[in-house]
Amino acid sequence: MSIIKKPDLTDPKLRAKLAKGMGHHYYGEPAWPNDILYMFPVVILGILACDVGLSILEPSVIGEPANPFATPLEILPEWYFFPTFNLLRVIPNKLVGVLSMASVPAGLITVPFIESVNKFQNPFRRPIATSVFLVGTIVAVWLGIGATMPLSKAITLGLF
Amino acid sequence: FPIYAQQGYENPREATGRIVCANCHLAQKPIKIEAPKTVLPNSIFEAIVKIPYDTNNKQLLGNGIKGSINTGAVMILPEGFKLAPKNLLSEELREKTKNVYIQPYSTTKDNILLVGPLAGEKNQEIIFPILSPDPSKDKNIHFLKYPIYIGANRGRGQVYPTGDKSNNNPIVSLNTGKVTKIISLEKGGYKIEIEKDNGEIYTENIPQGLNLMVSQGSQVVANQNLTDDPNVGGFGQTEIEIVLQSPSRIKGMIVFFFTVTIAQIFFVLKKKQWEKVQAAEINF
Repeated sequence: MSIIKKPDLTDPKLRAKLAKGMGHHYYGEPAWPNDILYMFPVVILGILACDVGLSILEPSVIGEPANPFATPLEILPEWYFFPTFNLLRVIPNKLVGVLSMASVPAGLITVPFIESVNKFQNPFRRPIATSVFLVGTIVAVWLGIGATMPLSKAITLGLF
Repeated sequence: FPIYAQQGYENPREATGRIVCANCHLAQKPIKIEAPKTVLPNSIFEAIVKIPYDTNNKQLLGNGIKGSINTGAVMILPEGFKLAPKNLLSEELREKTKNVYIQPYSTTKDNILLVGPLAGEKNQEIIFPILSPDPSKDKNIHFLKYPIYIGANRGRGQVYPTGDKSNNNPIVSLNTGKVTKIISLEKGGYKIEIEKDNGEIYTENIPQGLNLMVSQGSQVVANQNLTDDPNVGGFGQTEIEIVLQSPSRIKGMIVFFFTVTIAQIFFVLKKKQWEKVQAAEINF
């Protein structure tokens, strides 16, 4: 078992900090040198080994030379744009489509201002925010899968 | 036929990524490819193209008789990869590939391999023996990951390179009208007389082997299928990635992993030793 320092509860300074939800580094495993000098390098070396292994065994493929005159058979943006790409192609009015794309970051910007009225952190104590998040995530994943399918299946995913 | 592509295209893969076989073989059917993820330089490996279809299906041959389905494939390897010469193949691989004649696409493109048409029953899996290049001998080859593009087909095409339709197509009516007469020909096939809305009568020739979907007296609209679609085949294309791996990199990586593991163990041991000092001195 590693060295564990007990909190000194007779110390009024520590008690004041604990009352505020702070002061966690006054007890527990000492950061220096036990954690930082000895355990950090173990993790750093592990990550380095993973990266080296991946880059040797799975080097990244060099794609085809760019050709501005050849449109690929399937045009798809990067995967994280799939949901908005799908919105853009299924909405017939292109202005509304572009506005729907722009509304995603615009809506995200309002979140910290609106959600600050709620004093809780726990997702279960914020049912509206949590359900908006869950519904939004499901819709985004659904639309994202639809983006990889032909236009006729873009919304239904071919399930209905 | 592969020869149509060889005659018409210098490179069978168009800039859009489409393999030109799809210009004649219009139907789409899935195919599969199996190849190693990683190969060493100057070694022989096998890539297996799978062209599944129901062997009960019979296709319409050029003479209008039903026959068995043929298969064929094209494999577009990265530059430098080529068909393994027969004398380098292992006994086992030679036995497996002896009935299949694979040829390079052209004299300048020996990294593109063609095979077919083959009898489909025995060749739903086509094995390509491939020789990987050696970067130490050829300065244009590097240890990298490369894409392999594969197209494979079963069955006859629908269009000839000249643009003519083959008989492996449904016959559609040219005009809206009413079928007035169906004449069965002696040498097979039908003649259908269709009365157009303005009273004019024209005949539609149905070659042998197609099954009629209209009967006497039925109304047809323009572009309606008069026969069923005889095509049971289709073309598919896919791609995989293959790594040309350097043996010295693998050796270096193993040595590096070994030193990393030793270093991690020693860090933990050093920590445990230091904790003993801390516990003894009660200084933490």
